[in-house]
Amino acid sequence: MKIHVYATLKDYFSPEFELNTVARNTDELKQRLLEINDGARQILDNCRFAIEEGFIDHDHKLKENDTVIIIPPSSGG
Amino acid sequence: MIRSSSYPLPAEVSPSETQEVISAEPLDVVALLSQAHHPSAGAVVLFSGEVRDSNKGREVDCLEYESYIPLAVKMIREILAEATEKWGLKIAIAQHRIGRLSVGEPAVVVITASAHRREAYEANQHIIHRIKHEVPIWKCEYFSGGGHQWGNNCNC
Repeated sequence: MKIHVYATLKDYFSPEFELNTVARNTDELKQRLLEINDGARQILDNCRFAIEEGFIDHDHKLKENDTVIIIPPSSGG
Repeated sequence: MIRSSSYPLPAEVSPSETQEVISAEPLDVVALLSQAHHPSAGAVVLFSGEVRDSNKGREVDCLEYESYIPLAVKMIREILAEATEKWGLKIAIAQHRIGRLSVGEPAVVVITASAHRREAYEANQHIIHRIKHEVPIWKCEYFSGGGHQWGNNCNC
């Protein structure tokens, strides 16, 4: 599974990396990410998750070949 | 850009594809405004969000914006389309800059045109509010003297 992170999450993770452990949904993905860097807990609790051009819910079933985009709170404008 | 009419575009031009909503190039506010005139619109409202030289007492040197572009483009187009429908806009344009910006540069422009001013004002505020709070675009402030900080969602 490929992971892309943006903005402040880049202070905790590489912008793009491959996750070699299983994450069946975004809750599990969040746990895997906290195992890599638990300092990101507060920001991850406020993130949304997306695949391609759509947000996904916490019960969306992730696939091994998915590229998951992790989206921190917006701060445009 | 979403237009509710093809005026004054040639018929073969797809209105929604004539203007990128995310731009790595400097925003041309005057050029955008020049596209916002419509014979049925008596009111045109333009909002330009520009880089300020300070934030919360710290002097800002420049800003950098990044975006998850595929989703941001889709969302901005949907926001424009929804606002056009809700307020009966004749023209709705939004463009957000990404990359590094100096103080004074426009970071985001929203233009709404409608028959009367109330709809243009309300729709414009609605569009910029949703862009700031919902669309995957992020601001990083670089401070004079060093240091940087990613922006948090705010009510401004």
